[in-house]
Amino acid sequence: MDVSPLSAPNEPSLSRDLQNQLCRLVARVAQTLMQHGAETKLIEETSIRLGTCLGLEQVDMAITANAIVITGRVSGRCVTTTRRVYDRGLNMQMVCEVQRLTIMAEKHLLDAAQVEQRLNNLVPLKYPRWVIVVMVGLSCASFAAQFGGSLPVCLNTFVASSCAMAFRQSMGKRHHSPMVNFCLTAFVATMIAGVATTFHLGRHPEIAQAASVLLLIPGFPLINAVSDLVKGHINMGIARWFFASLLTLSAAVGVSFAMWLGHLWGLW
Amino acid sequence: MTLLMLFIKQAILAAIPAVGFAMLFHVPAKYLKFCAILGAFGYVCRSALLQLQLQMPIEWASLVAAMLIGLIAVYWSRKHLIPRPVMTVAAVIPMVPGSFAFKTILSLLALYNHGFDNQLLAEVLENGLKTLFILGALSFGLAVPSIIIYRNRPIV
Repeated sequence: MDVSPLSAPNEPSLSRDLQNQLCRLVARVAQTLMQHGAETKLIEETSIRLGTCLGLEQVDMAITANAIVITGRVSGRCVTTTRRVYDRGLNMQMVCEVQRLTIMAEKHLLDAAQVEQRLNNLVPLKYPRWVIVVMVGLSCASFAAQFGGSLPVCLNTFVASSCAMAFRQSMGKRHHSPMVNFCLTAFVATMIAGVATTFHLGRHPEIAQAASVLLLIPGFPLINAVSDLVKGHINMGIARWFFASLLTLSAAVGVSFAMWLGHLWGLW
Repeated sequence: MTLLMLFIKQAILAAIPAVGFAMLFHVPAKYLKFCAILGAFGYVCRSALLQLQLQMPIEWASLVAAMLIGLIAVYWSRKHLIPRPVMTVAAVIPMVPGSFAFKTILSLLALYNHGFDNQLLAEVLENGLKTLFILGALSFGLAVPSIIIYRNRPIV
């Protein structure tokens, strides 16, 4: 029989200790969701649902671009805790799993101790590096095909964007700033794709340059930004929108540097 | 018949980037097929709206396609208990106006390098506005089900 105090979640009034532990658990859930790229409404909703179904009377949270503050209230007694959030990279599998834990807790399939234990055991899914490299290469090649590029152009795009993706992953592994990473990756992609322009491979070789930098679309920050804005989290929306714009700007800097160098060397 | 072939080709060419980007976002393997289907469906839907006699402007067509993706994703997300962005974000990636954005940046650079020119400024503004409007339509379209239908309750 489990004798941990967390195993009795539905007592009418919680001990101070239990309230602290629940608040910590809710803060961790919110932190995990935010670190892996969930939108603000999902973070808020999931944490509040988890806290209230485990026995807190009211859960309130303030979310800023890189920290969250959570208050859990039980009969007039408040516990407030703050967590700093570091970006761990997008991972939708983690978001799915955390939300599933919340739903299971809500249906009384898990108590707080079990939620905590499962949360500890979550391991972020990582696809093998080369699979992502090949898939992103293929994606950019299909963009090139959509833009009307011929087969040599698509092949060139595939090579350029695969190399750029491999470069981006190794930069990410060394924990470089995303701005630096995007700038240098765009540079690599444009330089390699520029070879097509030099040798006039296929019709419209300039399509390769446009398509091969598309692996840098900041899709998640942009879409999260707009959905935060329209769902009332204006400050988070602005922060995300600005971050996405900065990333795009860094990529543009990389592209423009590569263009200049190409002109200088007479490549295109 | 040629139109059908075109749509099939576009569906395949849209499904590949949807899956590729879904893997970049680490979507679990069993949900990748939803990303592929929604990506292909959205793209074909948009190009049908653009081509068949409707002549809808590309922003509005993107909005409709993104709304449809969002609505279908509501069904799947309730069925499999997963948040909607897991499927929807990767699915709109094929519709992101990458070439317009690239043209904007190129003409902006040319504007800076070769000095002011009305033709270049027009290109910057036209392509830039198109990029912005399409992006806005896509991301707003995805949010429509939770703004209009599921107003104060969670979808999953």
